[in-house]
Amino acid sequence: MRQLYILTKKAVLLLAVFAGMTTTVQAAGQWQWQVTLDASTSGKAMDMPSALYVDGDKQRYYVVDSGNNRLLSFDRDGKFLHAFTAEGSLQRPFDMVRDEDGIFWVVEKGKNSLTAIDVAAKSITPRVLRDGDHTIVADRLTLENNLFYVLDASRGDIAVLNKELVVEKWFSCADCSGGFVDFKIVKGTVWALDRSAKNIVQLAADGSLKSSFSVGEHAAFPVSMAVGPSGFVYVLDRHEGIIAVFDAGGSYKYSFLSGGQMRGQLHFPVEIDFDPWGRLCVVEEGNSRVEVFGR
Amino acid sequence: MMVRYRSRFLLVQIVIVGLILVLPTGVSAASTVCFSCHKKENFTDTYVHQPLKKGECGSCHNPHVAHFKGLLDEKGAELCYKCHQDAQKKFAQDLVHQPVRRGECLSCHEPHASGSRGLLRHGLKSTCFSCHTTLQEKYKYTHSPYTKGQCSSCHRPHQSEHALLLKFEGETLCFSCHQGDALRKGHPNYPGRLRDCLSCHNPHGSSRKGIIRDVLHAPYAKGCGDCHAKGKKQVGTEVCLGCHGEVAEKTFMSHTHLSGKAVNKCVACHSPHAADEKTLLKGSQAQVCMGCHEDTRVRYEDTLYKHSGAETCTECHDVHGSNLLVMLKGDGNGICTRCHETQGKFTHPIGEKVIDPRTGGMVSCVTCHTPMGSDYKYELKLSGAKDLCVQCHKSY
Repeated sequence: MRQLYILTKKAVLLLAVFAGMTTTVQAAGQWQWQVTLDASTSGKAMDMPSALYVDGDKQRYYVVDSGNNRLLSFDRDGKFLHAFTAEGSLQRPFDMVRDEDGIFWVVEKGKNSLTAIDVAAKSITPRVLRDGDHTIVADRLTLENNLFYVLDASRGDIAVLNKELVVEKWFSCADCSGGFVDFKIVKGTVWALDRSAKNIVQLAADGSLKSSFSVGEHAAFPVSMAVGPSGFVYVLDRHEGIIAVFDAGGSYKYSFLSGGQMRGQLHFPVEIDFDPWGRLCVVEEGNSRVEVFGR
Repeated sequence: MMVRYRSRFLLVQIVIVGLILVLPTGVSAASTVCFSCHKKENFTDTYVHQPLKKGECGSCHNPHVAHFKGLLDEKGAELCYKCHQDAQKKFAQDLVHQPVRRGECLSCHEPHASGSRGLLRHGLKSTCFSCHTTLQEKYKYTHSPYTKGQCSSCHRPHQSEHALLLKFEGETLCFSCHQGDALRKGHPNYPGRLRDCLSCHNPHGSSRKGIIRDVLHAPYAKGCGDCHAKGKKQVGTEVCLGCHGEVAEKTFMSHTHLSGKAVNKCVACHSPHAADEKTLLKGSQAQVCMGCHEDTRVRYEDTLYKHSGAETCTECHDVHGSNLLVMLKGDGNGICTRCHETQGKFTHPIGEKVIDPRTGGMVSCVTCHTPMGSDYKYELKLSGAKDLCVQCHKSY
């Protein structure tokens, strides 16, 4: 009788654990389209948007509308707010951040510059980035702890610059065949994507290699990556229009979304990033929009 | 009880021995039956496929009824992989030869018997040349293995981890035959270790002695000093762009090919010394571009409807840099109407004033067409009968 009691208790415990797991999965839920950042109310649709910057404090999305040489802002609900052209001076803006003083820093491909835009002071200062004799070809940009992290497309490495735009250090991957094409800073470590080798690389703050794993089997043409709130790594496949998800150790979990033009489908997407509210934002060059997905 | 067990054991033994004796006779009987109609001499040659040799026609064919032509049990490579399982695994890795990827084993191999090793259809050279028709058979100076038709000296026929299905990377392959003093003497002023042979030599042949490629880069024709200042071995991208200003301008575009770890980005596609044509590309566009864009090749290669001339990438793409999507030379209308003039005038409304309700963007040719190829007529993205149209025209 006592044995039966123990067995029953174990079974109940197992069921409770299983139920808990199920709830966890259910709580995570499926990724679903939530909102599209649409600039049509500005009188002009986006043209080849290339990047998204999210200001958590101001609860604003900023989209780099590269083809129209302007920056767009939206509120957290996706409502269009402003279009900013810096008096028509922007030339192929590609990526941007906003610092704590409210200055916009914009990578302009057309000038190969990191351009400081102080709206209050009405000043626009483009600067070509250099490290000694080497001219940096600025590409992706992040601001972390008052340091600029700039991807140098000509080397495939990440330059770290101070506010005076002096290079303080480099993050590079000696074993990478093609160099990085995108990166994210997460808790002091650099996560980067090597497109040629189709590898995700994690570098420690001192630049040493912490880990790497291949995404090649699940991403035909990876162009961007992001690390989710739970530590999972999301990899954007530009050609297939899908996002492949891996755990931090590199085990493939699942893929979602598909190619196309309908809502929730991707056409030549170029960048992914998480907003501070755990939503996944996808910048689509091909569909000229930014779609925000949540669970 | 004991006796009953013994008699049962004896019976089992008899059955086993009987089966051993009868089975070969049965198999041979199968082939005998087949050859009573199918002339045996048509299935005989120097090399005979193992199942046929053993008279096991039934390994591939069903004598009564089958789903596939030739009363075959399976279609294409699926049938071959029933036995060649190791090959199936291997042939799915790295760069795969087109017929292998398509499962067309019979485009190179005979299924029954052949006069050539590996059951090749026409001998190695003829088999390769039956598809690779643009290759010259002979040059003024021809590489010896090429003359002899020994394609497999350098190339793997099924798959390889190296471009052009080469057996080894770069100079490693060449040095497997070319070694020693003779090699060094042939390159008296070469700075440093000999390497990257294909940068100057055409491995098949050329009209120049030493099978140096036919078209020389002008500075190389003069000497080395223009680029390799003070004997510098590595020449950076900026040296190339110093002369090629029109390409330098493209580096300021939204999308460029200025990427990767190499000190010189240009040599990823171009040979700095000699090549077979005036753009100094390292191979055909299909080879050079698809070397990196393998997924694009795979995606469109097997589509039912293909845009003619799609193998010449530069027809539509500005390969050094472009501000347009996928590095196109013009927007989704302008690029197409250069050739398709009529469709530019009489077509579904297109242009800046026509908005795609799905995206809010401009409707253009590429809104409905996938120019590289698709499984729908006219390279449409979906069926033109209905599916494509109702994406926008929902009330129909």
